Amino acid sequence: MKARNALLIIVGFFSAWLFACARQGPPLSDSEVKAVVEKTAPTTIDDAVWQRAPLHPAKLLLQDMVEPRLMQASTAFVNVQAVSDGQRIVFRLSWNDSSPDDLPGPARFGDAVAVQLPAATSADVPAPQMGEPGRPVEITYWSAVFQAVVDGRKDDIHAIFPQATVDHYPFEAAALKTGSPEQVAMAKRYAPARSLGNPMAGPRTQPVQDLIAEGPGTLRLSDKSTSSGTGKRAKDGWTVLLSRPLPQGLQAGSRTQVAFAVWEGSHQEVGARKMRTAWVPLALGASQ
Amino acid sequence: MARVYNWQLGREMSYWYPESRPKRQFAAVFDTNKCIACQTCTLACKTTWTSGKGQEYMLWNNVETKPYGFYPMAWDVNLLEKLGAQNWDGQRYAGRTVFEAAQAGERVLGWRPEEIDYAHPNVGEDDCVNGVEKGAHFSGVHNSWFFYLARICNHCTYPACLSSCPRASIYKRPEDGIVVIDQARCRGYQECVKACPYKKTFYNALTGTSEKCIACFPKIELGMQPQCFVNCIGKIRFAGWISKPENARPDNPIDFLVHVKKVALPLFPQFGLEPNVYYIPPLNVPRDFLLQMFGPNVDAALETYRNAPKDKDLSGLLTLFGSTEMIVSKWKRADEQVLGYDEGGKEIVRVPMREPVHVRQAFDAARNVARTNIS
Repeated sequence: MKARNALLIIVGFFSAWLFACARQGPPLSDSEVKAVVEKTAPTTIDDAVWQRAPLHPAKLLLQDMVEPRLMQASTAFVNVQAVSDGQRIVFRLSWNDSSPDDLPGPARFGDAVAVQLPAATSADVPAPQMGEPGRPVEITYWSAVFQAVVDGRKDDIHAIFPQATVDHYPFEAAALKTGSPEQVAMAKRYAPARSLGNPMAGPRTQPVQDLIAEGPGTLRLSDKSTSSGTGKRAKDGWTVLLSRPLPQGLQAGSRTQVAFAVWEGSHQEVGARKMRTAWVPLALGASQ
Repeated sequence: MARVYNWQLGREMSYWYPESRPKRQFAAVFDTNKCIACQTCTLACKTTWTSGKGQEYMLWNNVETKPYGFYPMAWDVNLLEKLGAQNWDGQRYAGRTVFEAAQAGERVLGWRPEEIDYAHPNVGEDDCVNGVEKGAHFSGVHNSWFFYLARICNHCTYPACLSSCPRASIYKRPEDGIVVIDQARCRGYQECVKACPYKKTFYNALTGTSEKCIACFPKIELGMQPQCFVNCIGKIRFAGWISKPENARPDNPIDFLVHVKKVALPLFPQFGLEPNVYYIPPLNVPRDFLLQMFGPNVDAALETYRNAPKDKDLSGLLTLFGSTEMIVSKWKRADEQVLGYDEGGKEIVRVPMREPVHVRQAFDAARNVARTNIS
């Protein structure tokens, strides 16, 4: 019996070793996001650096602290990797999502992801739920709806509803020359949010937004637009690259905290209704 | 949640924000008995405000045929079902409002219409199912019934849209109580669409924001009634200002109709929003249906309306409906004439109780010719 147990243990260890050898991809970092420092920051999700940058599977929790809350969990994890060139930090975020949602509409919401960092790097971080009054957090937000427009979806109702029939738009009257300043100005007047410069309203050239918050319900566009990014759809989920300047005061070899959020559009997740992490330690590696 | 007083319920209720009434409150009275569902109001609004991209499906004003017409589909019955059976205890609402019945994690009890729910506004709601044979007629008692319900945003005292917005992007204008969505601040979460029981906020997929009826506030600011009011063929609508019941002034037309005569009633007061569009209920509709839709004062309102021909003040004021583009802040009856005044006390309209009748003889003897009506 003893010999049999010993054999089972040996077989078990051997299997685990074989599995570890067979596992492709970057090393795991369970407890923190380890940002590696490279000479140049990657600009694509396929860059070779992602094979060696440690991967942190960030556990997502329900946002069930403030109304409106998310009461049923959806996305369980977002896989996070980070690389910095000493000036900027690039996050590679990937998560499973069987239903791509990038069309807006009544009761239709897009998939999205966000990275949140304290505006000031210190040991004492603000509340992870969107910061606190006087202690802002900086958020880089990517949306699949934005991405689809940047990737070429037309700014037109027919791009969303192909069968739509429209009789007439006043700003497309025959008397108005298409693209003329008068015509453009008139079209803008018929899109109130666009007239007021609402960042949600487009026309869109970036799939990401730089946002600031000082507590739930206070989200606003940052004065500076410094982030960039791109998202790609795979068969079973999204991979998104988000690049932003290194947080103020974050030096090579030092630490801060970072948080993530994922919105599953098909689950009616939008705004406060999201899966999110608590603060996760972010360690910036030593410069090379 | 704060405790606020809702006079339509005769009690305090829970609301997300403390009570804060505007300096004055925009309000309206619609006489359902006069509506012919011509949809001129709908088009007046549509051409004025929602001709843009992303607004194609929006009807800030709509007219639907009750009981089976809806825009969006099942807007009222869906919520009534969610809310469940509730009771009035006389003038006091003994049930739960949409704020008090909110599920865990929500600010308001609501639901979100989908695209298909907006797909057939007033289509097939009052069409015959088959062709009508020549000479066919009905000679029995009409047990079938329907009526037309014209709807705009109710510019509620306790808006569910406003309370549901996690970003406080919706506000009630302190100067006139009109509820608007800040188009610079909205991020299109559609919480307001979910929360509004009347489904009068709409998501614009191209601007990424929600939009709603603004009661034509640029006209209101000039002392004028909104577009859907002044274009109404049936003259069913009257816009003005409403006071709290204890401050009601009989010379204020809306106060007179709502508080003094109590002939105009709120739409689904039990939802708890203290809506500010008041309806003179339709006469020939089953009582239970009207009780559910307009609350416990339906019998008295209908009785008052039936007796309007004997009530010179009431019938006089009803003649002011559709008589002027301006907002009538004060009114009075002087014998057989009804006068309307603007806020500064200037006379803006004078209407006879009865239009003078001129009878022309069918034959014009002076010209030796038979007269023909050509208009």
